[in-house]
Amino acid sequence: MVAKDTILSVDRLTVRFDASPPLLKRLVTGAGRRTVHAVEEVDFEVARGSTFALVGESGCGKSTIARTIAGIQAPTGGSISFMGVDIAGFRTRHAAMPYRRNLQMIFQDPYASLNPRWRIGRIVAEPILTHGLMKPGAALKARVAELLETVGLSPGDTAKFPHQFSGGQRQRISIARALASNPAFVVCDEPTSALDVSVQAQILNLMKRLQRERGLTYLLISHNLAVVAHMADAMGVMYLGRLVEQGNAAQILARPLHPYTRLLLDTVPNPRAPNRARARLSGEVPSPLAPPSGCAFHPRCPLANARCARERPQPIRVEAALVACHAVEEGRLPSRPRANENCLAIPGDAA
Amino acid sequence: MSALLSVQGLRVEIAQRHRVLTAVDDVSFDIAAGEILGVVGESGAGKSVTGTAVLGLLERPAYQAAGRILFDGRRIDTLDEDAMRALRGREIAAVFQDPLTSLDPLMTIGDQLVETMRTHLDLTQAEAVERAARLLAEVGIPAPRERLASYPHEMSGGMRQRVVLALAFCCEPRLIIADEPTTALDVSIQAQILDLLRAMCRERGTAVMLVTHDMGVIAEVTDHVAVMYAGRLVEVGPTRRLLAAAAHPYTRGLMASIPDMYRRDEELMQIPGSMPRLDAPVPGCAFHPRCPQALARCAGERPPSFTTGASQVACWLADPAGRSAA
Amino acid sequence: MSLVEMGRTVGSWWQGDVAYRFRRSPVAILAALVGLALLVAAMGAPVLAPYDAFDPAAANAADARLPPGGEGLFGDTYLLGTDPQGRDMLSAMLYGLRTSLVVGLASVAAAAIAGVLLGLMAGYFGGVLDAFIMRAADVQLSFPAILIALLIDGVARTAMPSALHAELAVPILIAAIAASFWVQYARTVRGLVLVERSREYVLAAKVTGVSTARILLTHILPNVLGPVLVIATINLALAILTESTLSFLGVGLPSTQPSLGSLVRIGNEFVFSGDWWISALPGLLLVLLSLSVNIFGDWLRDALNPKLAS
Repeated sequence: MVAKDTILSVDRLTVRFDASPPLLKRLVTGAGRRTVHAVEEVDFEVARGSTFALVGESGCGKSTIARTIAGIQAPTGGSISFMGVDIAGFRTRHAAMPYRRNLQMIFQDPYASLNPRWRIGRIVAEPILTHGLMKPGAALKARVAELLETVGLSPGDTAKFPHQFSGGQRQRISIARALASNPAFVVCDEPTSALDVSVQAQILNLMKRLQRERGLTYLLISHNLAVVAHMADAMGVMYLGRLVEQGNAAQILARPLHPYTRLLLDTVPNPRAPNRARARLSGEVPSPLAPPSGCAFHPRCPLANARCARERPQPIRVEAALVACHAVEEGRLPSRPRANENCLAIPGDAA
Repeated sequence: MSALLSVQGLRVEIAQRHRVLTAVDDVSFDIAAGEILGVVGESGAGKSVTGTAVLGLLERPAYQAAGRILFDGRRIDTLDEDAMRALRGREIAAVFQDPLTSLDPLMTIGDQLVETMRTHLDLTQAEAVERAARLLAEVGIPAPRERLASYPHEMSGGMRQRVVLALAFCCEPRLIIADEPTTALDVSIQAQILDLLRAMCRERGTAVMLVTHDMGVIAEVTDHVAVMYAGRLVEVGPTRRLLAAAAHPYTRGLMASIPDMYRRDEELMQIPGSMPRLDAPVPGCAFHPRCPQALARCAGERPPSFTTGASQVACWLADPAGRSAA
Repeated sequence: MSLVEMGRTVGSWWQGDVAYRFRRSPVAILAALVGLALLVAAMGAPVLAPYDAFDPAAANAADARLPPGGEGLFGDTYLLGTDPQGRDMLSAMLYGLRTSLVVGLASVAAAAIAGVLLGLMAGYFGGVLDAFIMRAADVQLSFPAILIALLIDGVARTAMPSALHAELAVPILIAAIAASFWVQYARTVRGLVLVERSREYVLAAKVTGVSTARILLTHILPNVLGPVLVIATINLALAILTESTLSFLGVGLPSTQPSLGSLVRIGNEFVFSGDWWISALPGLLLVLLSLSVNIFGDWLRDALNPKLAS
């Protein structure tokens, strides 16, 4: 990718989990070791001030990537370079502190992401105190109040506990906490999927405003393609631990190339296009314990041939996107109607 | 067209220590045989409570305080526990969000299907097994005969929800109450399940009350849609018409706040504030503090349901008298 | 926190669910009141008791084994009678209650602190440390509590000169009881930590770079303390009974340091000669104490369990 100012660069990132039964059971039953291939050789870069979205179905590895970048999951292989520093090289907590100050995270569940026994003021002040940015006192209180106002809450809320807030308000508190150490980069793991749509709109608008005002970079993890379409500049589509297609978000959504991306886009229910007939994604995602040979998508792919089952496709460049698919490479890809052609026509009497 | 299910003036209250909360207030709607009605709303709007009330499964401290529920012209909200249980297995079936709550983890899926059918239908063991296998094939489970001997934990989430559908359809019910049936599933599996639900209802003429928070699901499968807000119905109408040109300001705001896959706006429309909590009800129209078009009377008078075209809208803006006066 | 704020906190607690259930449960109120009264009586023993139970000079051999209400040689009236050494039973019982409560509270505190810390570490770090702590707990569980206490006491008795042992009797007893009770805390806390450690508020602290010790102590610990409190309350009664059992068997506290258990033991020899009060009165007090603590503990467990809340 040609990015003039890259803030995050992920190179051949691989994360595997050991899912073996306990030693004793292995000895008794003769069962072997088992490995979950959560993320396999993923490459991508994120430009400063932009939003990069990772999409895919549950178990595709997108949340694992988020956690690895946020430093709460150790990579098995590959490297992550953040602001020019390889973060896998940190040996001690102290060495990692400047990086942690610049990288914060927003979580999915607004009911689990705030310590239920802590007052809001203490929750929002924690990153500031942890990084020694301020000492406890009036200045810190003023800073916390200012952060709460930034996210649309009242400064008087500092003395309240999380259970006194609604889901949307809690997500605002999470955002205030994430901003407290003035980070450059925020990992957003399904930030609105637990919220109602009207609240989702408020949170997405807030996130966009903060990005504009503070030049934030977002890594957005979402299964909701409409949210991605609204937020992302670039996106990557994941299937079973691998990136199958990545590049400019607008291009991928308008002209998807990979058969999986195409079917995923067709599958998403769209309230603006009711009862439309369209292709369906059949079958289910295979187990990451034993991913299929060759292209992981070939058992479900309508375009699969013998080569797909045998050989793993390498990413090739098509305009502003990278696609890993033999059908694209061999020019076997059927043409596709423009995505929004079958959208709802508004009846004439809609006055 | 006479309604298969008719809910009239339903009101559900929740008794608390010092006060009584109103979870559902003055909700009326009809579902015709073979029709799929979507009930949509945000969390706490009362949609699930309405479904639970129709199933006769309200549990203390919630209770039905007013209104009538008619099934096939017969009042069912006054039935005793035994009669309601017989009706629930035979004529009205339920599908819930988590398939594990509908399936017994200690029984094979074959035994569960056979037991349900033999409780409600006059079938021999062999006939019931035969029919169970046919049903599993119909809901798209590969190798159905072998699968009869499986336990729920041996199947994936999508497969389990297929089994739940088979269980719901096994006694040929006339009405299915589906409460967020696909919320726990991935989009590709969700689409498969919704297709299946719609196809099976079309073939059998089963009516469905589909409770969901997802406008996409509503668009995908429903014929009519009822929008709930703060325990009340704000708008009921044919799905296509309601999605294209909603009449109630809440429905319009809700639609506008959903990001568009194919159009990128710098800012989404947003409804300011949040839905009133049950313990702090709003007088007049419950939506008026958040409504961009609120009139003076909205704060004091609760709007009745006005009929505009094929829709019913509970909003003073839809008042024919008010419009002609303006 | 200012006084007003404190008042408000207490006030909001009193309006809360737990307090509401407390106000609605006469049994819990009664148990709490009895427990509180016994605690006050025990802590106030030096002031409340008519005689000093530790002072051999205050005991009068001529007044031995007087029945309740009996009058002594020098005109003293003993409300609850005297013991075989001529000690006033009421005073001995108050001091005994104090010893029993101190031993019970201290051993529960020691067991809770050790168990909670071990459980926190086992649950949070997992792996070899977890396996080691939990297997040690399994071994511990396969011995009855009283056996472990007997063992520790026995070793201490042979390893130390008797004067030193008498001096260290209370700490040894506390250690012995704590050693048999920590497992319950460790297991409970480990199970809760396994749930809490993957919750997003803990992940958020990790992302921020909060140290592991701080995460354990300021984030996870406050969220697992509820069940610990319940176990501790129920354990308190058990610990007091264990101490009494050990003292009754003669391996607990020496008879110069009255505890409710040793008082029962002393009186045991005289029950058949008709001097019932020496055993029966401290025994009744013991029953009253453990019953009130137990009832309160049971109520607390139910009140804090959201699944039982109706």
